[in-house]
Amino acid sequence: MKAKMDRRLGRWALRPQSIPFVLLLPAILVIVFVVLFPLIFSLYTSFTPYRLTRPESLWTFIGLRNYRRIFTDLDFWIAFGRTILFLAVVINLEFLFGLLIALLINRITWGQRVLRTVMMFPMMFSPILVGFQFKFIFNDNIGVLNNALQSLGLTDQAIAWLVDGWLAMGSIAFAEIWMSTSVFAILLLAGLFAMPREPIEAARVDGCNNWQVFRHITLPFIMPFAFIAMTIRSLDVARAYDIVDVMTGGGPAGRTELLWTLIARTGYDNARMGQANAMAYVSIILSIAFTYYFFTRLVAARRYMGGAA
Amino acid sequence: MPKRLNAVVSWVLTFLVMVIIGLPGLWVILSGFRPNREILAKPAVWVPERLSLDNFAAIFGLGDTQVAIPVANYFANSLVIAVTSTVIAIAIGMSGGYAFARFRFRFKNGVFLGLMLSRTVPGIALSLPVFMVWSRIGLIDTQFGLILVYVALNIPFTIWLIDGFFRQIPKELSEAGQVDGCTRWQAFWRIEFPLARSGIASAAIFAFLTSWNEYALASNLTRSTDSKTLPVGLMDFTAQFTIDWAGMCAMAVIIIVPALALTFLVQKHLIAGLTFGGVKG
Amino acid sequence: MLKTVIPSVAVLLTSTAIATSAMAAGEYEGYTLRVKLIGGAQYEPLYTLIPQWEEETGATVEILSRKNHFELDREIKQDIASGTINWCVGSNHTSFAPQYGNIYVDLREHLTEDVLGGFVQLTLEHSTVNGRLVQLPRHSDVSNLYFQQSLYDDADNQAAFKAEYGYDLAPPDTWAQVKDQAIFFADPPNFFGTQYVGKDEAITGRFYEMLIAEGGALFDESWNPTFNSEAGARALQWFVDLYEANAVPAGVPNYLWDDTGLGFASGTVAMNLDWAGWASFFNDPENSKVAGNIGLVRAPMGSGGKRTGWSGSHSFSVTESCDNKEAAASFVAFLTSHDSQMVEARTGLLPTRSQVWTDAKAEFQANGNDFLVLVFDTYAASMAEDAFTPPLIPEWIEVSNVLWPNLQAAVVGEKSVQQALDDAAKDAREVMEDAGYL
Repeated sequence: MKAKMDRRLGRWALRPQSIPFVLLLPAILVIVFVVLFPLIFSLYTSFTPYRLTRPESLWTFIGLRNYRRIFTDLDFWIAFGRTILFLAVVINLEFLFGLLIALLINRITWGQRVLRTVMMFPMMFSPILVGFQFKFIFNDNIGVLNNALQSLGLTDQAIAWLVDGWLAMGSIAFAEIWMSTSVFAILLLAGLFAMPREPIEAARVDGCNNWQVFRHITLPFIMPFAFIAMTIRSLDVARAYDIVDVMTGGGPAGRTELLWTLIARTGYDNARMGQANAMAYVSIILSIAFTYYFFTRLVAARRYMGGAA
Repeated sequence: MPKRLNAVVSWVLTFLVMVIIGLPGLWVILSGFRPNREILAKPAVWVPERLSLDNFAAIFGLGDTQVAIPVANYFANSLVIAVTSTVIAIAIGMSGGYAFARFRFRFKNGVFLGLMLSRTVPGIALSLPVFMVWSRIGLIDTQFGLILVYVALNIPFTIWLIDGFFRQIPKELSEAGQVDGCTRWQAFWRIEFPLARSGIASAAIFAFLTSWNEYALASNLTRSTDSKTLPVGLMDFTAQFTIDWAGMCAMAVIIIVPALALTFLVQKHLIAGLTFGGVKG
Repeated sequence: MLKTVIPSVAVLLTSTAIATSAMAAGEYEGYTLRVKLIGGAQYEPLYTLIPQWEEETGATVEILSRKNHFELDREIKQDIASGTINWCVGSNHTSFAPQYGNIYVDLREHLTEDVLGGFVQLTLEHSTVNGRLVQLPRHSDVSNLYFQQSLYDDADNQAAFKAEYGYDLAPPDTWAQVKDQAIFFADPPNFFGTQYVGKDEAITGRFYEMLIAEGGALFDESWNPTFNSEAGARALQWFVDLYEANAVPAGVPNYLWDDTGLGFASGTVAMNLDWAGWASFFNDPENSKVAGNIGLVRAPMGSGGKRTGWSGSHSFSVTESCDNKEAAASFVAFLTSHDSQMVEARTGLLPTRSQVWTDAKAEFQANGNDFLVLVFDTYAASMAEDAFTPPLIPEWIEVSNVLWPNLQAAVVGEKSVQQALDDAAKDAREVMEDAGYL
């Protein structure tokens, strides 16, 4: 019986139509085991009052109560909105800075290898380290930044970088941008390297100035690279959790609360895993929306370039 | 003349940008060689009065402090976990990427998007469910447990990049090889793989850096020196009331230097690889 | 270096020889005791004694985890969740212990009165949850007020202060005086009067002790939140006033213990309410600019006539699922014995055995270490008379998590004091309702 099954399976695997599935099988198996399987479990817990410290609460079913609670919880929605705003601002700024860096490095021919390594320097920093690093840089009393500003005579205030409403969010955004702009820069630089020279020369012959060349030829060409970078970044923006948690923990007064800090506190500190997982599901939907959006833009940009998507 | 001015401006700008990128990181590295009293001081001590290896000595338990951090274990764990997970992710990614690049099949777009979206699940949401499953099957605090998670983390991006590279290579090349008597398997290794090599290298460096630096999941899935990685080891410098920032910086140097050296060595491939990959779909 | 190491090693050897002589040799031969311990600089010296216990009993100690308290807390919760409590001894803390339910044994059933009799009884009471002694305290902590002595000795300061506030400048005895003096000394951004921790359980605890000192309470007898009382408003107002007067660094809402400790050590803060664990650090010229210039007084009083005294103890617990509870109990008793506690006391940590208080102080006196004598005198008084714990209920951390964002909101001026407390009380009521108290 078993031998027969094995043979049948063997025959299936060798059929030409099956080859792609056989090739994809390892990837699918790993993802199902590491991501999908645990996610189904956490989906189930989001319908329970599950608390870490009371394992028996896993078997109480409370239907949609966790979700109802979230939907009426103003703090959650403020954090939700702030997360969207944070992502939108950070990803766009990273794109702009990454573009600037790529354009600058592309012009320089001497010492580029060193410059490229410097450009990728922040990628060597673990997010948790980035958090500590900027926590100390932005410390208002003994931090490096305020010390520098005061020494240079630019201010006589102790600026509370991590407290003031907009500054706190801005400081976190700075840390996040510092850490992740490299990804954009390197992909956009790759895009610039791949650019054919002829269209640019033709445009110059036609009398286009630098800006026009950039706007109408260079930019459309490297946009697909930008969308790749944005898709990659929106895939793992949740890395920002490590940074925010160390720098401000979501405070003060919830001014820097993002979905991920809220989820972690609800789940681990308050030990309310069921509710935290319900929140996590809402946040996953947000990530999927962002990723899907950039992905469709990427496909559109490829089509614009004439590549077969 | 304006051209000259242009060059000067772009040099100055480049320099400024590099300073902004480099300074916060250099501050960390420099702090690894300075005592706490000098780093977090007011008024600030701008020119280091004393550079020493004291913080490193303390990590290795050589100073007059009694606390040694098992940094050699962490380093070994990090290396084994990052390298193994990268190699596996690349192997699986090549197989999957090849499938997407060379075959038409049902649900192709659905499978592709599904694999991509698996990466959007935030680590913090994944950490507990994975922990529960891992603890049932005995993968907690093992290198293998973490390797498996990192493979899953790196598969989507790896498949995507490698898919792009294989599409760049004309199908005809491989077909020509097969006409010459190669099997499809041989044609792949002799013709397609060498052409996609720098693309695969760039996927590998991304995967390696992700695994090397990951903290959120590792902090939940590791327990002891059996599996703790370097980023998790950073937390050894925090106690309830204190953070030994100088010690942490010294440890950071130990984490950063190998990654930086590796990046410097392979970055030529990285740019070349990304150039031809991914985009033209 | 050699100079400092050799005497301390010698002391360790002699002290542990005495400590372990009470145990039967080779009692647990071949047994491996699995433990999870809190890690970090101030906790580690004690663990260097572990080989002595191993040698004496024949058992081996396997340290599964050694991480800071918050990480350990998360790990233990995960172990409860997955049912993998396959270890015997864990570090614990009085504030956190109630959360863990019944995973730890009642140590009274495993330890004799000989062992328990030597402890400060108040500390043992604080270690008791639902009538069960779930942990054995290794050292306690409470906060007292450090200040820069030179500021108070300065004649100009004395005259100027007297002229402005109408009373003599002296180390403060009430929180109202702390406020006056903090505002008097502050010269932002170069110098600050005082500072406080501003987030997480840290500010909850600081607010809580101030609330008690002002004569208020967190809950009434039937667990209704009552901290939005007038006493609560007065307590919170103190934090708000100092912040608005710029007498504390503008960053305090984001400060934790390391920030306040490093801030005081940097010499830019006049007064600092802090834990005993920092005393040696502050007086070490390698780390601190205020070394040799530190005064210390008992934590001041609130308007209710009571001193602040938020206190907790680090401790060790033995799990219910342990396969050799006697070995585990022996290990815990060893780590909290007289001689073990002397090792921690020498670094300035507060012992939980009455005799160690006396002996450690005598040793400091003999060595001419006047500063640590002052530290021990001050902290002995506050441990004996002022110390109190937060409510020992599992919901403490959860209540704290609804309280501190509101406290911060009041400090940074986003909400009025009363509004912030009312909002927090409403949320705290919900927590208590969910938990079945109301």
